[in-house]
Amino acid sequence: MRVLVVEDYPPIRKAVVKGLREAGFAVDATGDGEEGLWYATSNDYDVVILDLMLPGLDGLTILKRLREDGRTAHVLILTAKDAVSDRVKGLDHGADDYLVKPFALEELLARVRALARRAYCVKNPCLELGDLRIETTAQRVWIGSEEVYLTAREYALLEYLAMRKGEVVSRTEIWEHVYEFSSEADSNVVDVYVGYLRRKIDRPHRPPLIRTLRGKGYSLGASE
Amino acid sequence: MMMSVRTRLLLWMMGGMVLLLIVFAAVVYEVLSRSLLEGFDEVLLASARTISAAVERDDSGIRFEMDERQAPEFYRTIKPDYFQLWFADGGILARSPGLTRSGMEQLSGPPDIPVFRPAKLPDGRAGRAVGLVFTPKADEEAKTAATPKQVSLVVERDTGSLEASIRFIRWLLAAATAGTLVLALLAGAVAVRQGLRPLDALAARIAAVRQDDLSARIPVERMPAEMIPVIGRLNDLLCRLDDAFRRERAFTADAAHELRTPLAGLRCTLEVALLQPRTGADYREAITECLGVVQHMQGAAESLLALARYESGQATLHPEVLDVRELIESGWRPLVDRARARGIAFDARLPMDLRCRADRDVTQMIVVALLSNAAEYTNDGGRIEISGRNSAESLELVIANTGCSLSEQDAPHVFDRFWRGDRSRTHTGIHCGLGLALVQRSATVLGGSVSARIADETFTVHLILPA
Repeated sequence: MRVLVVEDYPPIRKAVVKGLREAGFAVDATGDGEEGLWYATSNDYDVVILDLMLPGLDGLTILKRLREDGRTAHVLILTAKDAVSDRVKGLDHGADDYLVKPFALEELLARVRALARRAYCVKNPCLELGDLRIETTAQRVWIGSEEVYLTAREYALLEYLAMRKGEVVSRTEIWEHVYEFSSEADSNVVDVYVGYLRRKIDRPHRPPLIRTLRGKGYSLGASE
Repeated sequence: MMMSVRTRLLLWMMGGMVLLLIVFAAVVYEVLSRSLLEGFDEVLLASARTISAAVERDDSGIRFEMDERQAPEFYRTIKPDYFQLWFADGGILARSPGLTRSGMEQLSGPPDIPVFRPAKLPDGRAGRAVGLVFTPKADEEAKTAATPKQVSLVVERDTGSLEASIRFIRWLLAAATAGTLVLALLAGAVAVRQGLRPLDALAARIAAVRQDDLSARIPVERMPAEMIPVIGRLNDLLCRLDDAFRRERAFTADAAHELRTPLAGLRCTLEVALLQPRTGADYREAITECLGVVQHMQGAAESLLALARYESGQATLHPEVLDVRELIESGWRPLVDRARARGIAFDARLPMDLRCRADRDVTQMIVVALLSNAAEYTNDGGRIEISGRNSAESLELVIANTGCSLSEQDAPHVFDRFWRGDRSRTHTGIHCGLGLALVQRSATVLGGSVSARIADETFTVHLILPA
């Protein structure tokens, strides 16, 4: 899941980015309004965390432009303005959620996870596919009764494929939703990680969970 | 003692009314009773004239001959009137039939001029008497013109009916006065209530002003002219209160915002640090970050407090003559090393004798804030220029720095509280945008002014203080 953080106060930005990354999200961050709008419109983010008082371009304007541009990314407004009218204004501008500073990091993470699930019309935090079970809250994976230990990147890849189970997902999409701008990798790295993942979750004498569709991409749990 | 305006008005009105009515009634009583008495006397005199006409003089002497029908009032048996005629020598010429035993007292004045007086009638009734001294007219048959002899006459009549009339008038006047007073009291009460109704309306309107919405003003329309100045003053007061509350609210909101943001940063940083076991270096980094945030909070809190004090007028000023050159030098000293490291040139063109008359602490704060601001936003390798001059009544200080990324239209906003227009500010993260707002407030407090201009990537601040 890929998240954009637009927050101009560096301590908050740094901490939120760190917290999100450690929770398995791919995170891009900026402290400038215009840069934030550019990020948000040139990429398909699952969740955008948006501060309202920003230099360059304020949060509500970014939100308006984003919606005018047809972007459906789930937006969580993060602000020190706590008046009801401010919340209503934010939500009416097309925001999906609102969190007032100061906030608990845990709550922010939970809300971001919920918004990310909603991005794929998934409500159950526990994703199941045959005997594969993914607990998105704890970021743990089981095959049957056996727990599988994945790296953060592997987990992010599996979670994204599971969120879109049954669909064909292109390398570019995977790359856009699992990797950050700052990562040097290109979309070829996706193949490498899919390989790692397969080695951990496929079991002998069973059909592979991740199917490769040549020239199209990958699919998790698609029927033959 | 507390007394309502209504009671006071009513009391004064009734007091005046009672006095007026009593005087009026007394005058009416006097006039009426006098005119009644005059009427009575006239009738009495007419009776006397009838009697006097019956007295004739001829050669043989003076005679009194009268027909009973001419003056029946003297001949009736019940409550008759009385008369008595005397010769000039005091002998009785004639008397009314009612006067059997006792006689009457003589009452004489100048001839042919009637004299009146109250009298007690022979039968004991209260009455009034008229005395008339006259010369009886001569008989036609009298040939000799003997020396005319005067006759004196007294007629007395019972005043019972006159007194009854006067009594009636007295009662009538008393009743009328009392009635008028009662009616006046009622009318007065109604009038006072009507007259004070705008006061009640005003009270209701004042009561309707709520603490959380002081923007309401009391309307002047349909208010009596006397109330308009009062309402005007009240509205002024409301206006000032509203301003004060608005400032208070704005300050609270600003303070809340300005403290929430670093608090959020602090909490976030600490929570992330605790998320999982980390190395000592990681913890050290988190602690350093938190310390920076705390410094920011401290600065923000102090600035907010200073700003609040100036805005509420709590701070007392001690104006003195200040050496501005020295203030600038001492203000720049802490910034020198960092500026030098960033390659910033500092060019101060100040005359030797640069002075102003102002509070030292406030002026120092202005100078330090402007210098730090300039040092903060000047681009690496940029330039800060300071020039100053004294005129007869003011000190003008111009501080310009290069590397400004704001547009010309942003210039008026730089003094807004918490306005953060400069993106470079977000990279340092230790400025909260209070500095210039505080400078403007402080300059106003000192009786000066401050303005900003942005042109060719140069940010110029003009500070004017009284000399």
